[in-house]
Amino acid sequence: MKMHVKNRNVAIIGIGQTSFSSHKEDQNQAEMVQEAVIRALADAGLKIGDIDCIVHGNMELFEMQFAPDLWHSLGTGAYGKDEYRITTGGTTGATLVCAADNLVASGLYNTVLAIGMEKLQEGNTTGGITNMADPLWFRNLQTGALTGTTAQEMIDEFGEERAKRAAMRYRIMMDKHAMLNPRAHRRFGLEYSQMEDLMANSPPLVGELRLIHMCSQSDGACAMIFTSEEKVKQGTKNPPVWIRDHIQIHREETIPNLFGFNKPEVTHHYAARTLFARNGIQDPVAYFDVFEMYDPSAWWAVDWLREFFLLKGDEHLRMLEAGDFDLDGRIPINPSGGVIASNPIGATAMLRPAEAALQIRGDAGGHQIKKEVRHALASGFGGTFWSVLMILEKELNWQEVSHD
Amino acid sequence: MTMQEDHKDCFVLEGKMALPNQNFAGRLGSRFLIAIRDRKKIMGLKCNPCGKTFVPPREYCEKCWTKIADNWVELGTEGELVNFTVVRYGDRHLPKKPPYILGQIRLDGADTPLTHIVEGIDPRDVESGIRVKAVFAEKTTNTIMDIDHFEPV
Amino acid sequence: MTEYFGTTVADIFATMPKRFKPEEAKEVDIAIGYEATGEGGGKWKATIKHGTLKVETVEGELTDCKTTIHTDAETFVGVTLGMIGALDALSSQKLRVAGDPKFLMLLLPKIFTPYVAPAKKPDAVTARDIIATLAERFRPEKAEGVAMTIGYDLAGEGGGRWTIIIRDGKCAVREGLADPLTVKMTMEAKTYAGMMVGTIEAVTAFTSGQVKIEGDMAAAGATAKYFRKYVVPGATEAEELISLRVTNSIEQRFATGPVMGRWFAGIREKKFLANRCPKCGRTQIPPREICAWCRVRVHEFVEVGPKGVVTHFDIVYFASPDPLTGAVRDTPYATVYVVLDGATEREAITVDLKKEDIPRLKEGARVRPVWAEVTTGSYRDLIGVELDEEEGSL
Repeated sequence: MKMHVKNRNVAIIGIGQTSFSSHKEDQNQAEMVQEAVIRALADAGLKIGDIDCIVHGNMELFEMQFAPDLWHSLGTGAYGKDEYRITTGGTTGATLVCAADNLVASGLYNTVLAIGMEKLQEGNTTGGITNMADPLWFRNLQTGALTGTTAQEMIDEFGEERAKRAAMRYRIMMDKHAMLNPRAHRRFGLEYSQMEDLMANSPPLVGELRLIHMCSQSDGACAMIFTSEEKVKQGTKNPPVWIRDHIQIHREETIPNLFGFNKPEVTHHYAARTLFARNGIQDPVAYFDVFEMYDPSAWWAVDWLREFFLLKGDEHLRMLEAGDFDLDGRIPINPSGGVIASNPIGATAMLRPAEAALQIRGDAGGHQIKKEVRHALASGFGGTFWSVLMILEKELNWQEVSHD
Repeated sequence: MTMQEDHKDCFVLEGKMALPNQNFAGRLGSRFLIAIRDRKKIMGLKCNPCGKTFVPPREYCEKCWTKIADNWVELGTEGELVNFTVVRYGDRHLPKKPPYILGQIRLDGADTPLTHIVEGIDPRDVESGIRVKAVFAEKTTNTIMDIDHFEPV
Repeated sequence: MTEYFGTTVADIFATMPKRFKPEEAKEVDIAIGYEATGEGGGKWKATIKHGTLKVETVEGELTDCKTTIHTDAETFVGVTLGMIGALDALSSQKLRVAGDPKFLMLLLPKIFTPYVAPAKKPDAVTARDIIATLAERFRPEKAEGVAMTIGYDLAGEGGGRWTIIIRDGKCAVREGLADPLTVKMTMEAKTYAGMMVGTIEAVTAFTSGQVKIEGDMAAAGATAKYFRKYVVPGATEAEELISLRVTNSIEQRFATGPVMGRWFAGIREKKFLANRCPKCGRTQIPPREICAWCRVRVHEFVEVGPKGVVTHFDIVYFASPDPLTGAVRDTPYATVYVVLDGATEREAITVDLKKEDIPRLKEGARVRPVWAEVTTGSYRDLIGVELDEEEGSL
């Protein structure tokens, strides 16, 4: 893959989030969007007039409201500005960040505001997801984002007891992180002593995927402001966080092809090895200080840690069991509580780089990692295993790596 | 290489999408609709710095981003028809049988027009600038159709 | 009885007969057991049979219930009132259902009108109740840079002495009066409660001397804006929030095109037709014009199957409602991934497995297609697959 050539460096200079919950009856969609936008502007110390371009994203079928960018313009501040709309499933939020990064890097705009939102309470999420499947082929069998196949594969590979304990340990770890994040939607107060009970008694959804393993359905919005290195040099209210590189990987559309005898390379693995190679990162576990991962379920999360960190065999399980992914571990995963705690879908994949950037700034609040965060990784996931992966940096000092 | 021109293997499959959903009007939208439903009054929100009064309601002035959420003003139930079109095709999604007039009415005291149906005048006779008044619905539905229509004063 | 969110568990069961919709329950024959633990809890049984309802309290074991709900009293009330999401409560195991939870979540709203908590009389609310909600009503965004300590000396029933500390965007409530205080307010507890619920006008109370203020007068006036308005629990809130429920219904027509159309032409004849990439040799299922790996046009069609091997499967216990009808499929059902004989190893198809075969399903099982009686050239022609046990499994 060719080098991702950036015309100029791009920094995140403003971040705004709403709280996440399953109940936002008191706000309409535009008002919820605006809450995030106003917070992002305040965080950046900017006014809406300082924004050159707006990128807006959600999934229309989740709210069943067509052309939401039109209706949200009261909240986005798009009045009289250039605006783009992005809708790429679960990856929407990450694609928004990639687009904003590219729009600033290209030199077309200096300062870009990206907004991801979803109000899942208003619609029928699983119905919406079902309608994304090929109507001729797969729609009648689709079960939204629920699948038990990864659980079965892990049980086959590592044995039932170890695999189930790993998934539940991850789940409880996420809840412990979410308890530190007042914005998170689901904060249950789970304890590791509940593992056996939850493994046996949480209602099953599909195979060994149980209700407790699965992500939430949330309402909420996230807004981020991006600007160029030249603008940053004129001064920013908060420290800038640099987007070093990002990669977006799509794959063939038919999910069944994942389940033949010969499995294709998982998109996450392809994205990770390509991105790390072109940035000269040999050992991602050692290099990164935090990873905000799009984790739709505890089973997927554990499995994907192996893919993203290019680990072999049971290395990822051993790291999980040793507490390496805990908030004070070697490479903390999702201090925010992740997607399992809060999942306003169009904003979800944007919350990953947003939370990673807050960690770099030291502004994450209750769920701030204690050691210094200089290098952060953030991922997005959606569609039929689309993958987005990006590297955020505290300092503008990374080595350019030459490529063919 | 040429594409296959033969259509014998081309099938068309019928489908349907019918997803239930709910829209929340929000706190401001609810107050606006409840005023129409219960008090037969149309309320607007005024931006003091811009001197503009908006209807339907919005939390912030879309020009200067002043928060105007609490700055309610009562508008007239009469106003000027500033623009209109005549809907001449029928469709099950439309609220009335064609032909009917879809107008933009600038209510007394408002700076933005409200879109609604104009009745009581022949589509051939309607013109911009006429005065119209709101006729409130007897059976209310918690929607903007709690104003049944506007008609000439 | 102990109240949660202004309601007791017993209230909810007492109103069940009034909320029952017999016409919606004509086909229903079910006994539901309820166990609410903790203060204000108990056991109840609701028997619904062909449009009739019997609700009884139960001492001892819950017996003869098709499904039982176990939870603590607070969660039960919270879920009933919609203050706690049912799915969240199920996920956290605060609510457990023996039986099918999805079935109950669909059935109960159909046969009962929602429970609405009775409005609590404002004078039943004490100053102590209101003070207890101060911290959660605090609005840090309104109190940026504010540092003050406010003392309340509230006399009479439900009263007491409290200190409210606002500092660094946080609010804490302490028993007793701190020293020094930015401002101290002394009044009858019932005057304070009256002002908070809106039955006593604050300005009148101040000017009539019912409230005594010592210290910073301006600070006393500013406190209100640091907190959200107090709302009497269970009261039909001053604020009615409107939501519009609609079902957007759109008819659709999907064209297969000539290449994928060959697949449907094939299954109309009960055959599986894949197309083979001239470069990598894979049998594309469904057939597509271009091989996405090799990026070359694909012309050659080959017949694969009709039998095949299960590579993976999903047993679904929690069916999503059909977006078209709202109906829920019978659970559990199995979705299997099958590589058809003669297909290349990556090209699995996804199909339903015959329900009776689920207990004997294993990875590697041989399966054969089950066809519709009349085939028309649609995905509905292939009903699913069933185990092909005559041949044995791999």
